[in-house]
Amino acid sequence: MTSIDSLEGRFKEAGALVVCRHDFKREGLVLSALIPANALTELAEGLKGDGYTLLDVSILHAKEGFLVTYHFDSFKEPGRLALRVLAQGDQPAVPSLAPIFDGAEWHEREGRDFYGVAFLGNPNPMPLILPEDFQGDPPLRKAPAALASITALGLFGKPQILDAAWWENLTNPVKDGD
Amino acid sequence: MSGFNFINPFGVREDPGSFVGDRYTDNFSRKARRDTIVLNLGPQHPSTHGVLRILVEMEGEYILRAEPVLGYLHRMHEKMAEVKTPWQFIPNMGRVDYLHPISWNWAYVGAVERLAGIEVPERAEYLRIISCELNRIASHLMWWGAFVMDLGGVTPILYAFEEREKINDILQIVTGSRLTLSYFRFGGVSTDIDDRFERLTREFIPYLRERLKMYKALVTDNIIFRRRLEGIGPMDLDLCQRYGATGPILRAAGLAYDTRRDIPYGLYDRFEFDIPCGPSNDSYGRYLLRLAEVGTSLDIIEQAIESIPDGPIKIAKAPKANYKLPAGETFFAVEGGRGQVGVHLVSDGGQCPYRIKLRAPGYSNLSLFAEAAKGTLLADAIAILGSLDLVIPEVDR
Repeated sequence: MTSIDSLEGRFKEAGALVVCRHDFKREGLVLSALIPANALTELAEGLKGDGYTLLDVSILHAKEGFLVTYHFDSFKEPGRLALRVLAQGDQPAVPSLAPIFDGAEWHEREGRDFYGVAFLGNPNPMPLILPEDFQGDPPLRKAPAALASITALGLFGKPQILDAAWWENLTNPVKDGD
Repeated sequence: MSGFNFINPFGVREDPGSFVGDRYTDNFSRKARRDTIVLNLGPQHPSTHGVLRILVEMEGEYILRAEPVLGYLHRMHEKMAEVKTPWQFIPNMGRVDYLHPISWNWAYVGAVERLAGIEVPERAEYLRIISCELNRIASHLMWWGAFVMDLGGVTPILYAFEEREKINDILQIVTGSRLTLSYFRFGGVSTDIDDRFERLTREFIPYLRERLKMYKALVTDNIIFRRRLEGIGPMDLDLCQRYGATGPILRAAGLAYDTRRDIPYGLYDRFEFDIPCGPSNDSYGRYLLRLAEVGTSLDIIEQAIESIPDGPIKIAKAPKANYKLPAGETFFAVEGGRGQVGVHLVSDGGQCPYRIKLRAPGYSNLSLFAEAAKGTLLADAIAILGSLDLVIPEVDR
């Protein structure tokens, strides 16, 4: 049995940037963590060992980039968790979880179809839901004004910000030439 | 796509630089052996339930590899949610899974209610449970008929439709429709039940219990039917965990995990009901489990219809058409006929939700097919596919 405290400790040890406890009744999550992309594989492996399964991969297109949220639930001790990775830049990419949870292959292919996020190491990076001959960019929100900031969406409840400098840069990004 | 060639009948590429079939076939057949045949099952194959396409590499009658190709019924519900107000999006939820639409009603309306902190009146909670369970029975029966038909028995689906029509008659009284049901509203349900609804529901429970005995005599104990299913397509807990399979597949694998019990919502914790589990993780086990679940739903309906309290069916200050969701995020899940239905809702406080992600149980359940079908006979793969209880519009969303 894995307690939520020990999972929180594990997320922190892996270098989580933000960790939060949630109100399960309202938010449907027990615990969530925003982690650096390079910590994802190891944490997912740990969760698999504890009997968690991957429910889905939900991508959010925000001002700062693409927030990739992995929802996990345990069959033994139900209590939903979320791991989040922020994929930024012109070619957003995160590591694939398909080698650990085979079901991730489809969730990631769907995410790539609709958000253009690359999942590095996906065994079959073909379009899944969009047509095979679909041309052009993914169907994203086009107008910059239509994009919300992830810090304004209330995703983090009462966050424990573990990397203050990173968070500061996220909320008030230093622009080139400032 | 230049140089479109039909795949040759034996799936053999004459020239490694050539392009065969479409992009999926081309990609799939590049990994094929030279002495095998690459076939497309569907997208119009009658035994694939809707528009599903599966590429298979065959060695004689045996499947070496399989790869489902999705998207033929994609209707971009998730994108639509971004340009529809919470109210306007309710009808979409009747159309994701046409066999168990009430579960999607519940998942979406429930997510909005959780985020907004809306409490539902007691009578409405009872009505939700009764309608959801009736609809679950209709879904399971429809699966039962279609599954037996996949295996070559055409008669049973006519019986299944007879029961299903009775349920549709009942649900039509409150929802007004027979297929794409949109019954739930934020803070309650749309219509109260009347005497006829109560009478028909009460009559239906003993009627179906009797009919289930006939199902057993007619199909379940049929030796040809059993030989087609026993030991075919075993799916253990490890497979379920790796692919995120839920619902009857997981429970047949031996784990009594049911969202109604494990992550309680509504008033399910007031009722006494078993979560059937097992008896075996093969196609026959999944078949028996779903029939047992029909009994569970009948037990729940029986208790609910006897103890339904009086009162309002919607809260007084139910959200109106111009309602704006508060900013925030929620993930709400319910137990649908095929497994855990989840709605991940993110709102920025605007007119429309910022993002909605629909977690369709059939999507995860189908993703394990490629692994489960490896090395089986083609005829058995059809049995395995049927035992997954797929609804393709839900898979593609």
